[in-house]
Amino acid sequence: MLHCTDMSVLERQRARIKWQQEPFQQQRYFDGNEFSGFSGPAQAQQFQGLVNSDMGLNGLVKADLSLDNEWADFGQFSGEGSDLGPGGFGLGSGFEMNYGISRTISCPLAVAAEIAEVTAADTKQRESIFPEKVSSAVGRESFKKRKADKNQNLKALAEEESKEKRIKERNQEGESRITEQNSSNNNIKRETSADTSKDNSKVSEVQKPDYIHVRARRGQATDSHSLAERVRREKISERMKYLQDLVPGCNKITGKAGMLDEIINYVQSLQRQVEVFQACTPNFPMGVSSEITNPAYLQFNPLQLVSCSGLEIGISPPDTAIRRTSSAPIPVPEMFLDSSCFDQIQSSSAWDGNLQNLYNMEFLQGRSTSFPAQQFTGIGTKAPFGNA
Amino acid sequence: MKQSSIKTRFTYGFLRTLKRLPKTRAKSSSFSPEEISKRCRIIKLATDASMASAVGPRRAWSRALIRRVRSQRRQRQRQWLVMRRTRRGERKKGGKEVGGGGQTDSLRKLVPGGETMELCTLLGETAHYIKCLTTQVQVMRNIVDLFSN
Repeated sequence: MLHCTDMSVLERQRARIKWQQEPFQQQRYFDGNEFSGFSGPAQAQQFQGLVNSDMGLNGLVKADLSLDNEWADFGQFSGEGSDLGPGGFGLGSGFEMNYGISRTISCPLAVAAEIAEVTAADTKQRESIFPEKVSSAVGRESFKKRKADKNQNLKALAEEESKEKRIKERNQEGESRITEQNSSNNNIKRETSADTSKDNSKVSEVQKPDYIHVRARRGQATDSHSLAERVRREKISERMKYLQDLVPGCNKITGKAGMLDEIINYVQSLQRQVEVFQACTPNFPMGVSSEITNPAYLQFNPLQLVSCSGLEIGISPPDTAIRRTSSAPIPVPEMFLDSSCFDQIQSSSAWDGNLQNLYNMEFLQGRSTSFPAQQFTGIGTKAPFGNA
Repeated sequence: MKQSSIKTRFTYGFLRTLKRLPKTRAKSSSFSPEEISKRCRIIKLATDASMASAVGPRRAWSRALIRRVRSQRRQRQRQWLVMRRTRRGERKKGGKEVGGGGQTDSLRKLVPGGETMELCTLLGETAHYIKCLTTQVQVMRNIVDLFSN
C-alpha cells in the first residue's frame, strides 16, 4: 500500500510531465522500446547495457523517427517492454514497470525536457530530436544511476506488493495477522484500515459457526428460522414413524396424509369401541346388580379382571380367549355390513324401549366379534345416551 | 410394566365408579330412556375420569380429559355457566385454527386437548392416547365379557 502512495504521487508527477511532453516522451519510448526489441526479455542490467549502447543506436532511431505510423505501435512496444523489468512481475506490475521506465526517462530530464518540450511542441519531431538528444546526452550518466535506483525501488515495491498479497492470503486463511503487521511495519495506515475492514468480515465469518448447534448440510439454509423448522420437521417425522409402528396397517402407507388418515381412523375406531363398551356397561348392572352391590364380589373381582387383562392368553377360559383373539384385529367395517350387522342394529334400535333386549347375548357376541364403525355410529345416533 | 400399571389403575378406578353406580341405580326399579341416557353419560364420564387419573397429569391429553370431565360435572350442576364457557371455547377455537390441513384438524378434534397443541406435540400425544385407548378397550372388553358371562 505504501507503494500506492508513492506511485500515486509519482504517477501524478509523471502524468503531468508526460502530458506536457508527450511527443518528446514518445520518442523516448521509442528509444527504450527499440532496445527492448533488441534485447527481448532482458534484465535491468542488460537494459542498462543497452542504454549504454543507446548512443549508437540513437542515430538509427532518429532516422526512423520521421515515420509517424510507428507511434501507434508504441503501445505494443511498451507492452513488450514490460518484460524488461525485474522478473516475477505480473501484468499490472509490468505496466508499472513501464511507468517506471517512462519515469526514469522523463524524470532526470525533467528540467531540460520542460525547456526542450516547448520547442518540441512548437517545432515538430525532427526538430525536437536535436535538443532532446543534447539533453539526453547530458543527462544520460545521471540517468543510468537513477535508473538503477529506480529499478531497485521498483524491486522493493514489487516485494512489498508480493508481501501484501501474501498477507492478504494469510488473512483469508485466517492466520494470525498481528505478527504480519509487526513484521511489515512499512505498510502503515492504509493496510491497517484495510485490515480492520477485513477483520470485521473475518470475525463475522468466524463467529457464525459458534451459534449454530444444528449442522446444516450442504445447500441447506443456515438461517435460524429454517434450522428450527428443520428440527421441527425431523421431530414430526420421527413421531410419525413411532405412530406408524403403533397403528396397525399403517406400515404399507407412504406419505404423511395417508398415515394421518389411518391414524385418525384408528383413533376414531378405538373411541367408538370405548363408547360401545360404555353403552354396554349400564346393561349388566340390571342383571348382575346383586353381585356388584356385594362388596365381597368387588373385592375379589378387580384382581381377576386385572389378571385376565394382564395375561392375554392363559388363565382366562377358552371361550373368552377365543373371543378376545377374534376381536383383537382392527375392525374392518366393510366385512360386517352383512345381515348380522343389521340384526344388531335392530336390536340397538329396540334398546330404548326394552332393556332386556339390550342385555342380549346376540348383541354382545356381535360386539365382541367385531366393531363395525357404521354400526356403532348408528347406535350413537339412535340411542339417546350417545353424545355428551 | 408401565402400561400394565396404567391398566390396573384404570381397572380399579372404573370398577370403583361402577360400584358406586349400581347403588344409585338399585333404588329405581323401572328404567326410563332418560335415565339410561343419564347413566350412560355418567359411565362415560367415569371411564374418562378413570382413564385420565390412571394416566396422570403428565400428559396433555389426560389433563384435557380431566378438565373436560370437570366441566361436564359442572354442567350437570350449573348448565348456564357451562353454556357460556363452551361458547367462549368455540370462539377461541375458531380464532386459533387458522393454518393446517383438514386431517390435522380432525386429529385435533379427536385427541382431547389437541386444539391448542402444536403439530409436533399433537403427534406425540396421539401416540400415547392410542396406547391408552387400546388398553382401555382391552380392560372394558374384559369387564363386559366377565359380566356377560
